[in-house]
Amino acid sequence: MDIKEILKLESTALNIRRNILRLIRAGEAGHVGGALSSVEILTALYFNLLNIDPANPRWAQRDRFVLSAGHKCLVLYSALAERGFFDKSLLDTYGALDSKLPGHPNMHKLPGVETNTGALGHGLSIAGGMALGFKIDKSPSKVFVVMGDGELAEGSNWEAASAAAMHKLDNLIVFVDRNTLQISGPTVDVMSYEPLDERWRSFGWSVKVINGHDMEAIIRDVNQVPLEKGKPTVFIADTIKSKGLSFAEGKVNYHYWKAKPEEMEQAERDLDIIEEQLKAKMEGAGL
Amino acid sequence: MKDPRVTFGEAVVEAAMENQNVIVLSADSSSGSGLGDFLKKFPERHFEFGIMEQGIMGFASGLATTGKIPVFAAIAPFVTARPFEMFRNDLGYMNQNVKVVGRCVGLTYDTLGSTHHSIDDVAIIRTIPGVTILNPGDPVTIKKAVHAMIEHKGPCYLKIGSPKMPVLYPEDVDFKLGKGIVIQEGTDVVLIGTGTVLSKAVAAAKLLEEAGVSVRLIDMHTLKPIDRELVLAAAREIGKIVTVEEHFLAGGLGSIIAEICSQECPARMKMIGIDDLYASNGPYEELIGKYGLQPEQIKETVIKFLST
Repeated sequence: MDIKEILKLESTALNIRRNILRLIRAGEAGHVGGALSSVEILTALYFNLLNIDPANPRWAQRDRFVLSAGHKCLVLYSALAERGFFDKSLLDTYGALDSKLPGHPNMHKLPGVETNTGALGHGLSIAGGMALGFKIDKSPSKVFVVMGDGELAEGSNWEAASAAAMHKLDNLIVFVDRNTLQISGPTVDVMSYEPLDERWRSFGWSVKVINGHDMEAIIRDVNQVPLEKGKPTVFIADTIKSKGLSFAEGKVNYHYWKAKPEEMEQAERDLDIIEEQLKAKMEGAGL
Repeated sequence: MKDPRVTFGEAVVEAAMENQNVIVLSADSSSGSGLGDFLKKFPERHFEFGIMEQGIMGFASGLATTGKIPVFAAIAPFVTARPFEMFRNDLGYMNQNVKVVGRCVGLTYDTLGSTHHSIDDVAIIRTIPGVTILNPGDPVTIKKAVHAMIEHKGPCYLKIGSPKMPVLYPEDVDFKLGKGIVIQEGTDVVLIGTGTVLSKAVAAAKLLEEAGVSVRLIDMHTLKPIDRELVLAAAREIGKIVTVEEHFLAGGLGSIIAEICSQECPARMKMIGIDDLYASNGPYEELIGKYGLQPEQIKETVIKFLST
């Protein structure tokens, strides 16, 4: 990929992080850790990979995105707003009565949201059904899913994983946002899923472990899907929980963040630093 | 007498011939649900998943987003109680056009015991906003219920029994989703039946007529949305209502009617069904007799109700 395109994506990812802070300011709290760890995945999807039209969000031929880990909704709302599915002023309603942006996404309230998720272990089955529907119709559309790694303890995921392989859904692409932390501690200590790559492979999936913050690699890898014909693909994306916030990165207690004023100020400063670094890179690239 | 599962399967084949979006999802359950013929006729529209009812609910939801009309039939508790959260979130909350069919409902899996009985399905599924619940009581209305649910846009739950059922209606009976059928008019008591024991209520009404009791007999084949007008008319005009269902007293037909009457037009009521217990096991006719659902027992309950 051209360096200018990559830097543009990085700039978009920064905007999405700023949108996440805007949501937290409005709602005074939110599931920030997993939202920030998956910013680059959603940026790559919504600004490069997904075949979508914000002006026509129900266009039948669109690709679908299913946020199985519905508590990461802050990143979904932020990406949709950034992509133009709705006005950014809506972000300021987060937490308000009757807000179109509930604490877990609702497809009936907001354009661009495809599923009502929040209860874990539902998204992969729903996405599988979408992918099967596209296969029946011989449609080229693809279905993308973001799951949390803690979510993988839900047994229903593995029902869906079996069925997706059995029905040869090679139009189904999953990202496991492996930020390695859940509410009670490190995910592998709470309920180990290791060896995760072998586990998925044994269910009949193509598996690739990637850096979930490297958008160039994400885009390159997704463009090679299906990695094996007839098999669904899972990218195990190694990420850092709360990525971008210096005081919260990799810390378990920022799964859900009730933002203190001084923390919010620090968060803003952290993003300002990222912006300055990015500006320098852009100038270096002649942008 | 006709096999309700075979009748159901025939109706799905008819619907599939009329509408190419109708597909069938199986949890290793199609042959037992009367859908073997569908599989032969439409193998490319039949999708096997094995025994994974929770996952199938999600797949059905996703398929519905692409315009398909999935019909998912399996043993009733395994499509209601087991995947309840998937039913609620993936079908109800997402308002997906999926048709879930619980077969061998009530106590019709008689000898197999409480794991396979389904006497709580109405109670739990009716808490899901927007889900239509159909409980037809004879082969003619089973067919009509299948066509009505395919035509209806939105999530549906259809209840199908297991033992052969008597034909109660002519082929041209007027069946409308959400509208109960007044089988006969009467003035002393309103007897409302539903589903697998509708025929027992019909037989009880005959016995009551012979004993000099005039019965308004109603088939409440749609439990949600309930026919409020018909219920309120019964409460207002006669004021004495007896309900007959192969379901817990908590949350079923009797509860639904009591909720309406108690708030809008109080009526005396007697509910015949299964109390707060795990039902026993045994031959079907004997088993429902244990819970007062045979015609002679219903008659006696009604006469006692009217005399107090």
